[in-house]
Amino acid sequence: MAEKLVVMVTHGTADPELATIPFAMAGAAIASDVEVVLGFQGDGCELVRKGVAETVHADEFAPLGDLLETIQEMGGQLLVCSPCMKKRGLTEDDLVEGAEIVAAGRFVAEVTSATNSLVY
Amino acid sequence: MTQTQIEVDAELDARGLSCPMPIVKTAKAMKELAPGQVLKLVATDRGSVADVPAWCTTTGNELIEQHEEGDAFVFHLRKGA
Repeated sequence: MAEKLVVMVTHGTADPELATIPFAMAGAAIASDVEVVLGFQGDGCELVRKGVAETVHADEFAPLGDLLETIQEMGGQLLVCSPCMKKRGLTEDDLVEGAEIVAAGRFVAEVTSATNSLVY
Repeated sequence: MTQTQIEVDAELDARGLSCPMPIVKTAKAMKELAPGQVLKLVATDRGSVADVPAWCTTTGNELIEQHEEGDAFVFHLRKGA
């Protein structure tokens, strides 16, 4: 896995398609032997709250719950913005397995060490 | 070589799966094969027509051939070294 892709997720349940596309890109990248970091900011944080991903399914895309499970199973990292969580009353216990609470410094470190990054 | 002459070591039915699950399942199925072995993949996602060749290029696997059968897209992939 020489290549690394960072995918930032900023849309939540209000926009199922834009919530799903970053997960689809991340899934395709992991399947292509690319290391993947998914970063959640703003409303994107809703998607890594336990039980939420399973409720999102954009037409013509794989269900978000399946995509999240694939990404977790295949070693993708899930990084969640700390102030965005606080603003939404989320705590560490609310997050899905493997999600890590981070702040801007870590996102910068991930993006600057990645081959490429995408923002949705 | 015509498609009927290709010897297949494993088959993956990805019909009905949406983007990006056909290549996710393909990646998993190829992990089970030894270099040189052949996977037959059947998908109905239109995106797989472009996705599977791109995936092969990225991952160093060989796309032996691809064709359509009714509403399905059929691919034969040989695992790279």
